[in-house]
Amino acid sequence: MKRLLISLACFGVFLIFFVSCYYDNEEALYPTLTNTCDTTNVTYSVTIAPILSNNCTVCHSGSAASGGISLTSYSSVQTVASSGLLINALTGSGVPIMPISGALSACKVTQVRIWIKAGMLNN
Amino acid sequence: MRRLFLALILSIISFGIFAQDDLMNIINQDSTREINYTTATFKSTRVMNGHSIERMVPGQLDVRISHRFGTLNSGGYNFFGLDQSNIHLGLEYGIFKWLMIGVGRSEFEKTYDGFAKFSILRQSSGAKVMPVSVSVVTAIALKTLKFTDQTRTNYFTSRLAYVTQILVARKINEALSVQLTPSYLHRNLVATELDPNDIYALGAGARLKLSKRISLNGEYYYIANPKTYMSQQIYNPLSLGFDIETGGHVFQLFFTNSLGMTEKQFIGATTGQWKKGDIHFGFNISRVFTLKKNKKPSNY
Repeated sequence: MKRLLISLACFGVFLIFFVSCYYDNEEALYPTLTNTCDTTNVTYSVTIAPILSNNCTVCHSGSAASGGISLTSYSSVQTVASSGLLINALTGSGVPIMPISGALSACKVTQVRIWIKAGMLNN
Repeated sequence: MRRLFLALILSIISFGIFAQDDLMNIINQDSTREINYTTATFKSTRVMNGHSIERMVPGQLDVRISHRFGTLNSGGYNFFGLDQSNIHLGLEYGIFKWLMIGVGRSEFEKTYDGFAKFSILRQSSGAKVMPVSVSVVTAIALKTLKFTDQTRTNYFTSRLAYVTQILVARKINEALSVQLTPSYLHRNLVATELDPNDIYALGAGARLKLSKRISLNGEYYYIANPKTYMSQQIYNPLSLGFDIETGGHVFQLFFTNSLGMTEKQFIGATTGQWKKGDIHFGFNISRVFTLKKNKKPSNY
């Protein structure tokens, strides 16, 4: 009897969390935000810096930045980009793919490539 | 005529002599009435990444530190992955003989997790024969990494994932144990329309005891969902390694292609492939402390 009551209690606890069981995906939940990707007029301040601050600086910032790589300032980003490490990380070649919680969309990676090819200007 | 009748009666009575064999059976049954429960199917509560049929004795606390390094193919400059680390700390406690709970925190996506493992059946021989041990694990994972996009409405429930596993294990002999783990993973929020919120996997684990203290373990999870259109390509996790038991510690050392250590991570997010060299060296250290001494001797 005691075992039955405790099993029911545990099941009840898990049931509380299961009530918050959703079938969401980001594309459907946030439709407008996931569709803006303009590969013309790629500049650092408008295109690249927001990508980095939305996806990367969560870990790659501050004094204890992951892997010793900080992506908060233009100079540090330009260093990482010119060594080829930025694109390698975004495509997962030779290093773990970044962001570690889920790769960027192909369009955003293209925007980074375009910025690098144009000379990594601080515009 | 009377003699024939007498002979017939005597031959019918002779059937009753079988009762003597029944008596012998009853005596034999008394001596085998004891149920021999199988113990030590695995050395620890994990096969490697995933749960094993073993559970904590009531009143005992298991302190677990799990570590996964980076990949071997990251080159000599990164010391073949040893420079990067991913840690999971966990505490597991036995409440009853049939119930064990655990909590933990993983560095990967700053995930907190909790689970309960219910023991349903135990493998036994003797008076009651049960060919396998069966347990059920239910777990919740909470990802506390800040949402990358703070301008949109982010929901708390988007951080949650749930796992349910049924563990079916058999200790074949003193040296070999095997386990099948059908698993169900549900993630509340996934990236794209094509990513599945529900992942179904079948895990298989085995351990081969090499000596009294060392065993060779292997674990593989086959993910049944079609993997073609996922936004982040995932692969089946495979782990191979050793368990070394010394006193109160169990050290599990192994190579695996998954970075994560909780079910949500190694079933749903293994992005490495063995053939490409995305192999992580990892270890689990388990130390058992007795918090409450059992008054009754236990059947473990």
